[in-house]
Amino acid sequence: MTLQLILLIGFCGAIITYFAGKILPVLREIFAVAISLLLVGMIVYAYGRYSQEIAQFGFLNFKIVFTLNRLSWLFAIIISSLSALSIIFSLSYMKGKERQDFFYMMMLFVSTSMLGIVFSGTFLQLFIFWEIMSWSTFLLISYSKGKAVKAGLKYITMSIIGSMAMLVAVISLYLKFGTLEISVISQNIDIASLRYLSCIFGLLFLGFGVKAAVVPLHTWLPDAHSEAPSPFSAILSGILIKMGIYGFILMMYMVVGIKIFMTLGVGWMKFHYVFAWLGVISILIPSFIAILQNDAKRLLAWSSVGQIGYIIVGISMGTGLGFLGGTFHIFSHAVFKGLLFLTIASVEYRTRTRDLDQLGGLIKKMPITFLGGLIGVMGLIGIPLTNGFISKWLIYKSLFESNRMFLLLFSLIGTWAAILYGYKILHNVFLGQLPEKYRNMKREPVFMQIPIIILSLTVILSGIFPGIILKLINNIAFSFGLESLNVNMWGVVSETGTLNIRNIFFGILAAIALVSIIFYSAKRSWKVSQDDNYAAGAFVPVEKYNYTVEFYAPLYKMIRKYLKDVIDIFYCWIAGLVDALCNGIRKIYTGDIGTYVGYILFFLAFLIIIYLRG
Amino acid sequence: MIMIIEVVKIIVLPLIALIIGIFLMGLARMITARIHWRYGPPITQPLIDMVKFFDQRGISHGFIFDFGIILSLAGSIVLVLFIPFCKIAPLSNSGGLLVILYLMLITPLGIALSSGASGNPNASIGISRKFMLALGYEVPFILIILTIMKSYNSLSLIDIVNVQQAGTWSIISSLPLFLTGVAYFLILPAILGVRPFDMTTAPQEISSGPKVEYSGKYLALLSIEHALTLYIGLTLFVNLFLGGSANFILFFIKILIVFIIGLFINAVFPRFRIEQALKYLWGIPTLLALAGLILTMII
Repeated sequence: MTLQLILLIGFCGAIITYFAGKILPVLREIFAVAISLLLVGMIVYAYGRYSQEIAQFGFLNFKIVFTLNRLSWLFAIIISSLSALSIIFSLSYMKGKERQDFFYMMMLFVSTSMLGIVFSGTFLQLFIFWEIMSWSTFLLISYSKGKAVKAGLKYITMSIIGSMAMLVAVISLYLKFGTLEISVISQNIDIASLRYLSCIFGLLFLGFGVKAAVVPLHTWLPDAHSEAPSPFSAILSGILIKMGIYGFILMMYMVVGIKIFMTLGVGWMKFHYVFAWLGVISILIPSFIAILQNDAKRLLAWSSVGQIGYIIVGISMGTGLGFLGGTFHIFSHAVFKGLLFLTIASVEYRTRTRDLDQLGGLIKKMPITFLGGLIGVMGLIGIPLTNGFISKWLIYKSLFESNRMFLLLFSLIGTWAAILYGYKILHNVFLGQLPEKYRNMKREPVFMQIPIIILSLTVILSGIFPGIILKLINNIAFSFGLESLNVNMWGVVSETGTLNIRNIFFGILAAIALVSIIFYSAKRSWKVSQDDNYAAGAFVPVEKYNYTVEFYAPLYKMIRKYLKDVIDIFYCWIAGLVDALCNGIRKIYTGDIGTYVGYILFFLAFLIIIYLRG
Repeated sequence: MIMIIEVVKIIVLPLIALIIGIFLMGLARMITARIHWRYGPPITQPLIDMVKFFDQRGISHGFIFDFGIILSLAGSIVLVLFIPFCKIAPLSNSGGLLVILYLMLITPLGIALSSGASGNPNASIGISRKFMLALGYEVPFILIILTIMKSYNSLSLIDIVNVQQAGTWSIISSLPLFLTGVAYFLILPAILGVRPFDMTTAPQEISSGPKVEYSGKYLALLSIEHALTLYIGLTLFVNLFLGGSANFILFFIKILIVFIIGLFINAVFPRFRIEQALKYLWGIPTLLALAGLILTMII
């Protein structure tokens, strides 16, 4: 009953929140936070109670089954906690904005529908919740009118194409197996031929790939992420795109099984090869495009495409280590990218801009936001002692063990691109000179501080004690029949290379302590203001003494011409063609009654001729 | 007892690294001066400077300005513990070369944070150049590390050194490793940030870049960090390609030879611009390293 109750509470709660807002705005906020926290609580309660619930009711004679296994629990806890945090964040962020009832309702709708996806025991439910998620996401992306509607339309168009492909796959599965229950299909998977399964994978790749934003299906993401309301961008980038990954893991490891999956493909072109290379392309090119961006959220959006690439490379290896790394990166990315989006949201809330060329020096005004941003960027790069390091190390190790050196090479280069854009965002927003107009800015509100602090702590703690989550993921891997690894609190033990965070942790801690002692025992330094600066003998030009625009100018000059999003241009060209074609067809409908009567007469005459001939 | 020896190693190793690093800095100034037909400072000059800096009062631009510099030096010290010196590497068994690759990020990131917080555009320009340069040399560097990892089929630096001790130095053991060894030697000045590649700290253009706002103890910590960086870059080369050594004297001579050969080349070069540096780094060294990796994959 628990799972149905969770979904019921989520959906009903969303609607109640909407009407509560009509009565009293405060009531709406209390409801939204309470329900999102209740969902977190119920999912925590459900830990370890893995079961299948067959619903009392059916749908069009289909059985409705809710399942909870280790994989779906991991996803559920990430979904519910990140949504709860970003709803808490919205309390401050959305203050004074219009249509807030609608916003909170949709936030709850999206997160509950995602919970519905991971609890689905049949493909039918999966598809229904998938559609609810797509549409409510569309409404939220285009929340702030104008450019946002365009971004939303781009998203929903690609989404619909993906969903249609998915629907075809689901129907075809039903015709083949006579049921849509995931567990039954996976037991009888042997009756399907490899060719059939390859086709199904091709179709589902469209369906899941659009959500996961794998290159070449990524083009909606940069627009949608940057135009959506910022707390929702955190959800969008943190978990919504992971739903596509959930779909892939479900198909690859649960339904088809990894042994069969590794043999799927057309001739020598195995599906997992293609998949891994698409992952690497997703890492490499978007990471470099991200360096060029000036809009902080757009930069993070491109970086999300890059980070998704790591997950895909990890899970497509088909080994225990690869699965461990990929799935851990789902968690890490959700946490640090959520954190980064919230950080930028809080900057945007106070300064009303997220243009990287106009900000600077905010560290003096928003220290907590800066710390959040710093930890987020460190996680993104994968500095040791953050969770990003653990997942990347595992992914790299699995690539090395599977002997895929070129995949490893490109993934590593992607990390160095991440340093460039990560530092750019930190420097241009927080470091450098504080512009005059922000001198009297207030600190970030407390509801923004809470989620930022919680997420920052999560990045650090799960980076120092990776074992907590690694054990969970290792059990998932074991239940999928992958080899089980020797996981302990501080990392992974294996013969060909051990990861031991304890040594690194105490090493860094001791080194920092040592240097601090030297530093603070030396003579104290004078504190000076930012204007007390070296300017080669000239006076410091106030407001102009900053270096943010075109931060990596020589590099831009070299790489800009190669980094056009050709895929987006291609899709837009196709969209233009379809638009022109439909416009042509529309000309038939002139709106003049005489013409329509003419059409009818022509048609009747046509029928009569055929009749007489017959 | 073993515990105590380990702790002693952990304490002594950074000190040895520091002494070697400072010695090399002094030697570099001396040799460069002789090549330029100058007399040059005494070999102890870097040490004298360091002591002097510690004695002066500096200025600070806030907490991150202090914390960044602490972080960067701490990163270097930890890194020293991961790279074998005469086969002593107290922490090397905690993730191997992949961890070293990532620990090498802490130092530049720390300096970047610290000097970025100073609010001086010269520092920001220096940092932006530093990161571009890093992107430039990391591409061949990653290729080199991967080739080594692949041909010894291990992530552990200690294992790699042990195999070389039993057999021959890796740089002369096979063609692909020879190519990568040459590539590493070609990018070594970029990793160490010395002459053709010192555009990050160019005094004439951007007032020494990241260093512009540093004074007093900040400069002292920065020169310690520079000494350690020299040591790290060179020992990594010696361990990866010249077989390391169990003998202290031999190990030191290897470091010295590599350093001096590099110095002879660097002393007569003018400074590259950043785009020239990128073109150079993504040219011959990358091709050599790529050839090395492909050959290793095929053989």
